[in-house]
Amino acid sequence: MSASLPSTSPFPFPRFYNFPPFFSRQPTLQTHHSQLRKWSTLILNYCRHHRIFKLSLIDALDTELLYNKSLDKRMGIGEVREVVEFMRKEGRAEWAGEGGKGVGGNEVWIWWRNPEEWASLFYEWVDDTAQKHTVLTLYELTESEATISQEFHGMDPDLLQKALSILVKRGKAQVFGQEDQQGVKFF
Amino acid sequence: MFLKTIDLTTALRPAYLPDEVLLFVQDNVGLYEGKYKIPDHQNGHVYLTSHRLCYVDNDDPRKNSLAIDLKDVDRYELYTGFLKSSPKITLVPKPSKRSSIQNRAISTLGTPSRSATSSPLSRSDSPFHLPKPEPPPANTATWVCAICSHSNPVPSNFDPTTANERTPLPPCLLCGCKPAFAHVLKAAIAGTTNRQSQPTSALLKTPVPVRGRTNIPGIFNEQSSSNGLAQQTSKEATFSCRRCTFLNHPSLRSCELCGASLVSEDLPTGLDKPAPRSESPGPTLNHPAGPGMDINESIKLSFRDGGANVLHERLKGSMIQRKWLLENAPPVPKPNRASGADSVASTPGSVSTSGERVKAIGIAGLEQQRLDVQKNNELVIGTAFEDLEALMASAKEIVALAESFNSSNGLGSSESSAVANALGLVTTKEMLGGGSSSETLYISELSRNLAEFLTDDARGVLRKVGGILTLVDLWAMFNRARGGVELVSPLDFEKAARLWEKLKLPVRLRQFKSGVLVVQGSDRTDDKTIKTLLTWLKDLHSFPPERELPWDWQLFGRGVTAQDAAERFGWSIGVAEEELEMAEEKGALCREESIEGLKFWENWIGDTQFSIGTSA
Repeated sequence: MSASLPSTSPFPFPRFYNFPPFFSRQPTLQTHHSQLRKWSTLILNYCRHHRIFKLSLIDALDTELLYNKSLDKRMGIGEVREVVEFMRKEGRAEWAGEGGKGVGGNEVWIWWRNPEEWASLFYEWVDDTAQKHTVLTLYELTESEATISQEFHGMDPDLLQKALSILVKRGKAQVFGQEDQQGVKFF
Repeated sequence: MFLKTIDLTTALRPAYLPDEVLLFVQDNVGLYEGKYKIPDHQNGHVYLTSHRLCYVDNDDPRKNSLAIDLKDVDRYELYTGFLKSSPKITLVPKPSKRSSIQNRAISTLGTPSRSATSSPLSRSDSPFHLPKPEPPPANTATWVCAICSHSNPVPSNFDPTTANERTPLPPCLLCGCKPAFAHVLKAAIAGTTNRQSQPTSALLKTPVPVRGRTNIPGIFNEQSSSNGLAQQTSKEATFSCRRCTFLNHPSLRSCELCGASLVSEDLPTGLDKPAPRSESPGPTLNHPAGPGMDINESIKLSFRDGGANVLHERLKGSMIQRKWLLENAPPVPKPNRASGADSVASTPGSVSTSGERVKAIGIAGLEQQRLDVQKNNELVIGTAFEDLEALMASAKEIVALAESFNSSNGLGSSESSAVANALGLVTTKEMLGGGSSSETLYISELSRNLAEFLTDDARGVLRKVGGILTLVDLWAMFNRARGGVELVSPLDFEKAARLWEKLKLPVRLRQFKSGVLVVQGSDRTDDKTIKTLLTWLKDLHSFPPERELPWDWQLFGRGVTAQDAAERFGWSIGVAEEELEMAEEKGALCREESIEGLKFWENWIGDTQFSIGTSA
């Protein structure tokens, strides 16, 4: 699991989380479709709640997300992959790895906000706080106390790079500096 | 009224009367009255039963179906057809004025000989003094056993005019082998002829009771000598051998003891004459004499698709048998085959009739009665299983017995009752007419047969299994109900089942996703099944579970396995699985796979139910 600051409050699971058939693959096409959609919503909400950007499927199998202790029901890895694949098609997930090579791998980006959304979020925040044309370090952007109320607080550095590179392409930001000491300037 | 309306079963076949047996079916038949076609009765099935000839119209069976009681039929003629005219059978009704006389004449003829030995009245005074208003036709005849050539008496109740293959025959007294029916019949006829043709010569030879024999002929000897009637003296007419004086049976040509030729003046002259009574026991009233003929028009059946000849043959058979006379007649008495001291105890005719009964009072009497019945039942079972022919003859009694056992065990409505109902009501291939369409006719008749079998309320085949049954189970059940004879091949069976829809019968064949074929009432649709399933699952919301459940059972209810469903609805497990999967496929249910097995739930996942919000 990626580095994050887990919320202290427990995640309010939806009611169907306690519905035993929810954990079995439904053979009927229509039911299966809506099962996938429900799982997709659940995973996105869960990740948003806990600020999870990148999910390791193997590790997640034993978390409360995929394992309902009270029912003693869990999702199989195959079913989880199916859900992730469904989310990918909807643009809500992406296999982590270079150039989509991680398909079917272990790590997966969960786009409860996708990179474009993050990019505009950054830009809005900079705009709102009047920090245009000032240089910010990447560390400052995600870990400082100034951003603690923001959703991107504690963001995965790789994701941060992705989001910033989108802004760079649009010509709205410039990234400079060395590996560890990178800074960014918004225009 | 010559033409009668009839009741049809759910499968649009004539409803049978008790004891009625289907003999023949032919389709594509039209009706004529006199020379004219009867409108709306030109295309139908004809069912020949032992009692009636039924016409069931193909187009509007409920309205245009008719029956003709065979007892109202005076004559029937076959016209074989010429060039374009189809073969026809003409039925001439009895003149209505005389039909009553006719019936009476027949019944007086028929009953005494049948009831003579079993009727309690005639036995009331003494078993050895039978006051007989009429001589029993054939009880003096003897038949010679083909195995050991012992001459046995023809049983007293054996009446050649009414006896048929079903009449039980006692085995040879010496070697115990069963005689062929035809053999005994011939002997009986010969005996009758013998008696009629030479009463005087028999009188000359004064009958001497033969002591060495069993008591059966003895009874008649006593009786004949006490009555002293000329006609009855011919019973047990024996004549002594001229060489050794052994008393030989009249039908023997050489002495049983010394082998000397017995051909003498005693040889009955009429032995070879055709027996006049064997064909028609009725008096001459049977044949019409001019007047009264015009009262009713004759009815013609026109066979456009063949089958006239076979129907004519069968009609002839059933007109001779006259099964309808048996309706009110007492059951055929058992042959008096017991010997020695217990003959009195075992003579009571059948399960129901009480023969001479030793008068006993109180518990002893009841016990005695029970013992009698028990003994008699043993006898019935014993004779029935002795050989196949006897079994066929006693089938009806055995079935009745099985039913009585069954009801006394308190296990009503088991398969034996199905046997009873199925016997005689089945269509077999040989009942159907020839021609190119005979195969399809057989299938469609079988199809109707099956539909009746399924929808019969008395049997409740479908009701017992929750309204649904796999075709294989039905096949097994149906063949079992046919009593192991005239079994239906699986191929024909399936074909017949597939015809239900086409014939608009109240049952339907359904194929599950897995290919399993099931049978159910046509009013039961998938939607109905789903509705009942859902109602059941909804009920589970309100009943608290036996143990603590980790989920909100008031919201979600509980999951059910195929077994639960099978128990609940009386289905077989296979059917329950299929039904649940069908409901799942339609989106009404969803599944939960776990180590406890496959459970089905109301579908809270799908969109069809009310949406459960993403956050509680």
